[in-house]
Amino acid sequence: MTRFISKKDLITWLEKLIQERILIAPTTKNGLLLFQPVSEVEDIVLDFQNTELSPKECFFSATETLFAVKREDGRTELVPATVDRDTVLFGLHPCDAMGMAINDKPFLAEPADTLYGQHRARTTLIGLPCSKPTTECFCTSMGGGPHDPTHLDVLLTEAEDGYIVQAVTGKGEEILPSSVVEREIVSPPPPSVEPVPAAGISEVMERVFEAPYWSRLADRCIHCNICAYVCPTCYCFDVRDYANGGRIERVRSWESCQSPGFTRIAGGYDPRSSKGARLRQRFYHKLRYFPQEFGALGCVGCGRCIRACPVNIDIREVISDVQKLGAKIGT
Amino acid sequence: MAVGTELGSSLFLPKLAELLKVEPLSEKEKLFQLRLKDGSRLNHKPGQFVEVSVLGIGEAPISISSSPTRDDSFELVVRMVGNLTGALHRLQPGDTVGIRGPFGNGFPVSELLKRDLLFVAGGIGLCPLRSMIQHAIDKREQFGRIILLYGCRQPAEQLFRGELGEWRQRPDIEILESVDRCPVDVAWEGSVGVITTLFPQVSIDPGKTTALVVGPPVMYRFVVAECLKQGIAKERILLSLERRMKCGMGFCGHCQINNRYVCQDGPVFSYAELSRLGEAEL
Repeated sequence: MTRFISKKDLITWLEKLIQERILIAPTTKNGLLLFQPVSEVEDIVLDFQNTELSPKECFFSATETLFAVKREDGRTELVPATVDRDTVLFGLHPCDAMGMAINDKPFLAEPADTLYGQHRARTTLIGLPCSKPTTECFCTSMGGGPHDPTHLDVLLTEAEDGYIVQAVTGKGEEILPSSVVEREIVSPPPPSVEPVPAAGISEVMERVFEAPYWSRLADRCIHCNICAYVCPTCYCFDVRDYANGGRIERVRSWESCQSPGFTRIAGGYDPRSSKGARLRQRFYHKLRYFPQEFGALGCVGCGRCIRACPVNIDIREVISDVQKLGAKIGT
Repeated sequence: MAVGTELGSSLFLPKLAELLKVEPLSEKEKLFQLRLKDGSRLNHKPGQFVEVSVLGIGEAPISISSSPTRDDSFELVVRMVGNLTGALHRLQPGDTVGIRGPFGNGFPVSELLKRDLLFVAGGIGLCPLRSMIQHAIDKREQFGRIILLYGCRQPAEQLFRGELGEWRQRPDIEILESVDRCPVDVAWEGSVGVITTLFPQVSIDPGKTTALVVGPPVMYRFVVAECLKQGIAKERILLSLERRMKCGMGFCGHCQINNRYVCQDGPVFSYAELSRLGEAEL
């Protein structure tokens, strides 16, 4: 027997969640589909290919205060930021849930990042399967799938006049409303996704490090950093202080390894000064170093970087080029 | 999921430290002596670094230049090169800074026991090495020869001149000094030329010697070549690398060299390890 919630009951449930927690869901803002806090259920977009930005922002913000400096009577106190409200992240696709599971590896490995950990602990993920992958999607080659519930708390699959409800975790089970009923119903098959030749890519990368391929590919890169910002698994960051009207905060913000100066040290020396070396770093981190460190590829195949890149640098092409190059170079 | 929710456990929260002493060492470098305000010791190892905060300006990685064998304070040498170091140079004794760390692996002290230590310091590279030199002096019987090759651009840039004078007096430390150039009106007893000109002046037993090298990036290729020429094994040539760092804990991404994070796996690497990393470019 499958569990089921009607469309009407889903709306009631979402209304209740909006009352009790912060509900973040896909919604259109300035013509862009983004994960945003919503106050009206009708603002939620349910039927979409993918959002412009991944929901990593819910856990690792584009800009987030780490602590504030409090000065009183000549004493200095540092007040760390904390997460004080529960959140439901609704509507994310399995690829983005997998992105979060990938980010958990660096952020929650000891020593764990407490702020990220608090965001994660206080957020419940209610996902929707992906029914219309984009032409740039390749999740199945990265170990995921359009209907993969693995990294979600709840998966809601549209069927008949409602949704099939799958509680994946205990946290998901707890949040379900009593309007969930049992019903004999068949889940629709997942859509097909174009594969890329990713098998063994991490090992092949080892052989092509010195290839001129990387600087040739980087020739057209304008280091706009959009690939890193739309990516669900890019996690490089900058830490800075902001002082404003006597208030001092230390802030973490997204940064990209594609920026010139990302590795430049005081005095001017830059160990990664060429664009070719920087672009190579992006693909090596995802396809070689991250697997070496954490045993998983640092890419979910969501295709966002491909759609966003103004000069058509395409990670699928890179993967298949590396396979060809590696075969040519040999072991 | 392992989640630390204690308020005080934030990885990015510095401890507050008081500046006990601020002392100019040269035109651009100042020595800062600090103590943590909560009364705890830094508990560092020679060759480690801390992230130093000037609240409202920012944070930067600075190597610790004193040995943990000395006392409950610690010392940093800071060259004025930018915003944060400029702000540090304006601070006075009694002022407060933030400290995170210590970070990094430091020098492998236990592997250095009984070894002859060949310190090769280029300019401000003497500062991180000083933490190990002091350690070796304080536990003198645990180590073999202590040899210091110290090169600067000119005599006025020599750091720790008082302490160098004390070291020169000791029969159990051998010091050779060079400057790239010496103004005609300055007295200089050392060599003139780049630091590698000192190598032919010292005789070492390559099997017993570990080289500890810290200096500007350009120095490493030439010093490593000299060490190899002297017959020191690749595994026994230790280099400390300077990189941009924001977190100190191996995830902000700035200090990565291939799959290594200089802030955690380094800053001290053997030449053997670096020569396996395609991106190290020595």
